[in-house]
Amino acid sequence: MTAARTPAAAYADYLDHLAEADESGAIGVALDLLDAGVPAERVLLDLVAPAQEDVGERWARNEWSVAQEHAATHVSERVVAALAGRTRAAPTRGRIVVACIDGEWHALPPRLVAEVLRLRGWRVTFLGASVPAAHLVSYLHRHDAHAVALACAVPVRLPQAHRMVEACRRADVPVLVGGRGFGADGRWADRLGMLWAPDAPAAADLVADARALSRVPPARLDHLADDEYAALVARRAELVDGALADLRERVPATRAYDRARLDATVSDLGHILDFLAAALYVDDGSLFTEFVRWLVTVLTSRGVPAAALAATLEHYGGVLREFPRAAGFLDRGRALLASAAEPVGR
Amino acid sequence: MAPDWSEVVPHVREGLVVCDAGGVVRHVNPVAARLLPELVPGTPLAAGVPAITTDPAGFGHRSRRLTARRVALSDGRCCWYVEDVTDHVDRADALLAERARASFLAGVGTTLGSLLHPDRAAAAVVRLAVPVLADAAVLVLAPRAGRVRWWRAVRSGDEAPAVDGGVLAAGDLPQAVADALGGVRAHAVDWLSEQATGAGWLPGAAPGGTHARLVPLPGVDTPAGVLLVTPPPGGSPDEDGTELLDAFAARAGAALTAAALYRDQAEVAETLQSSLLPVEPPGVPGIQWGTAYRPAQAGLRIGGDFYGAHPLADGGALFFLGDVSGKGVEAAVFTGQLRQCLHALHRVESRPGPLLALLNDTLLETVQAHGQGRFATLVLGVARPCRDGGLTLTMAGGGHLPPLVLRGGGEVETVPLRGMLIGVVGDPRIGEATVRLAPGETCVLYSDGVTEARGGPRGDQQFGAQRLVDTLTGCHRMPAPALAERIAQVAGDWLTRGDHDDVAVLAVRAVGPGRHLHAVPAPAGQPGTSR
Repeated sequence: MTAARTPAAAYADYLDHLAEADESGAIGVALDLLDAGVPAERVLLDLVAPAQEDVGERWARNEWSVAQEHAATHVSERVVAALAGRTRAAPTRGRIVVACIDGEWHALPPRLVAEVLRLRGWRVTFLGASVPAAHLVSYLHRHDAHAVALACAVPVRLPQAHRMVEACRRADVPVLVGGRGFGADGRWADRLGMLWAPDAPAAADLVADARALSRVPPARLDHLADDEYAALVARRAELVDGALADLRERVPATRAYDRARLDATVSDLGHILDFLAAALYVDDGSLFTEFVRWLVTVLTSRGVPAAALAATLEHYGGVLREFPRAAGFLDRGRALLASAAEPVGR
Repeated sequence: MAPDWSEVVPHVREGLVVCDAGGVVRHVNPVAARLLPELVPGTPLAAGVPAITTDPAGFGHRSRRLTARRVALSDGRCCWYVEDVTDHVDRADALLAERARASFLAGVGTTLGSLLHPDRAAAAVVRLAVPVLADAAVLVLAPRAGRVRWWRAVRSGDEAPAVDGGVLAAGDLPQAVADALGGVRAHAVDWLSEQATGAGWLPGAAPGGTHARLVPLPGVDTPAGVLLVTPPPGGSPDEDGTELLDAFAARAGAALTAAALYRDQAEVAETLQSSLLPVEPPGVPGIQWGTAYRPAQAGLRIGGDFYGAHPLADGGALFFLGDVSGKGVEAAVFTGQLRQCLHALHRVESRPGPLLALLNDTLLETVQAHGQGRFATLVLGVARPCRDGGLTLTMAGGGHLPPLVLRGGGEVETVPLRGMLIGVVGDPRIGEATVRLAPGETCVLYSDGVTEARGGPRGDQQFGAQRLVDTLTGCHRMPAPALAERIAQVAGDWLTRGDHDDVAVLAVRAVGPGRHLHAVPAPAGQPGTSR
């Protein structure tokens, strides 16, 4: 068998190696491409990055277990490390610090950004997954950075992302952000007054443009004055308790859940509130409806009917009726479930 | 009785100018004559004072600001009431200027107050000085090791000023700057602009000469640096400007001093800290290591949990994970002592049980000598590769949480390993256990920060050992690093509030011979990261 000469031709083979958690096989595919003359940046962006997206989707559709997803991600990280080992270049430009925001564990996308920046001559420090703000800021006080690139894959972390960006700005270091957590088009980054890059090459272009880096859009957060976000966060535990009691009332089978299923249910009930809170923070109901759409995929592929979710949204809507924005977002979530339920009809 | 207007009018404070229907001045009272001496009765008003206007903003005349009202009289005549508002306007202007200065300085204080990196602080000082204080500002820092660093900001239209900088040998400094850095305050420096131009800081002198000024930025003893400013065009160096510049210099000097102090302290702290961070296990044939480390005090990145491994001369490796009493820096220092003890002791004794006993005696001596009640819990083991690619783990326990073994079928076993705290009594009871790992099987050591993480619906429930077992169950195909990270992640997600205890995980996986999983080099530029 001859080695594939393009990332597209190697893709299926590479994904098989990820599925088998076969580190040396996956590294072999990537290094063969490099040997065939494919630039490292293309291997990263056309092989490793799309494969990782596939991995996430397979987990969402319940085709892969969480353990398989983690193993595949680990293999991808080793592939990135192997590529880095083969393309070592002395940095000629300033330092860029790349990190995941606190609580964010999806480290591979920012790792790819870090590698692309490194390939373009920057001195890159990758601080890894879930970096506490205090750690990042103390790093910036110690090591002068040209810019900080922060990644956030899940929008529930937007308030943390906002605080972290503010902390970096107080250290007078320009910040850019990226990742799906800011919306597919970066609209939540814009709302929070952050510079957003859609992908690694765009991030590389942005850090190279000092003027663009200093042109920060203003944050538009006047809506926070209604305190709905703060109240929801403060009442989270009580709301989850109430929703659990309501669920046990409506669906008696849930009373017999074992601890693991109960943990999962409590976690889901909390998640709904976390996404609702994030939607309130950026004042965008589409953040919540996008989450509901995703949750339906995850739940139905695991045998949980969408109707259970609708009842919970209704319960939250009733409890939160004195919060007009939250209640409105919950209504939109329920409307989405109603329209999604019809064509499926099973 | 009718008032005698001729007696009253001369004492009116406004100037009065009466004109006829043709706009020719007929009468001028003494005040108007003083304010508008050009006016001569019999000549047209417009010829004498063309600028006169009823605009409420008034008009400038002979370096005074005047306002005027025009009132129609009988027969087409009119009277102009002219008032001198110069003092009033000056007071309002002064108030506005004072407010602008105060808000400028407040902004400077806020920005500089949170900058602890010396380069960032220096760049901010010149950037803030332009355009309010200067057209161009050059900051020259006090020399360090014979070299002088400088930063410069130059006004560029309405955009943010462009900032650049460079390095000079201390001997190449312009004399005036060197004097100022030495603490000699020069009040008027001739050829300052020429000197600055000579150093390459300013472009060639503008026609008419540039009035550059040199301001020392106060430091601890001698100035932290000096600021060279060329004032904005048209802005002559008046008293207010000087005061503002001095106030700015005081803030800039304080910020630069604090940043330099922080740098020096942080250098010391970082050196000590790096000796206290866990060292990643070395590559050993047949073993794949996985680690996770999340200290409670994120800013310090050190804590009371520790782990490590040392390769053994006859193959295999010694590995350990533990937790010392206390938190923060003191605990971290104690972990450093422990790790160093183990590093030295394992050369004379590599059987886990006796090695743990030896460690206990050593600690007991140290603890008694220093009178501190410190103790530790830990698991210590030796991993020896077998012919089939598996590992034999011989472990000794000193009161630590029992290790978990993830079997090839995905099920999780708890290793029955107990024992007493280390460093408390002489000759403690030490637990011992031997575990066989087939290829692909993993043994996981972890600290109580994992199982005691508080979260759940009310935020007060411990994560617990059972949730940890559930987390690992079915993960038998995961590489050790992914497994360790998964544990840290699940425990981290369980936490409701931000605060947590130190978290450490060490996973030991049997990977069989010939697989040098650490042969892939780690990426550059990430020493001491949280990965």
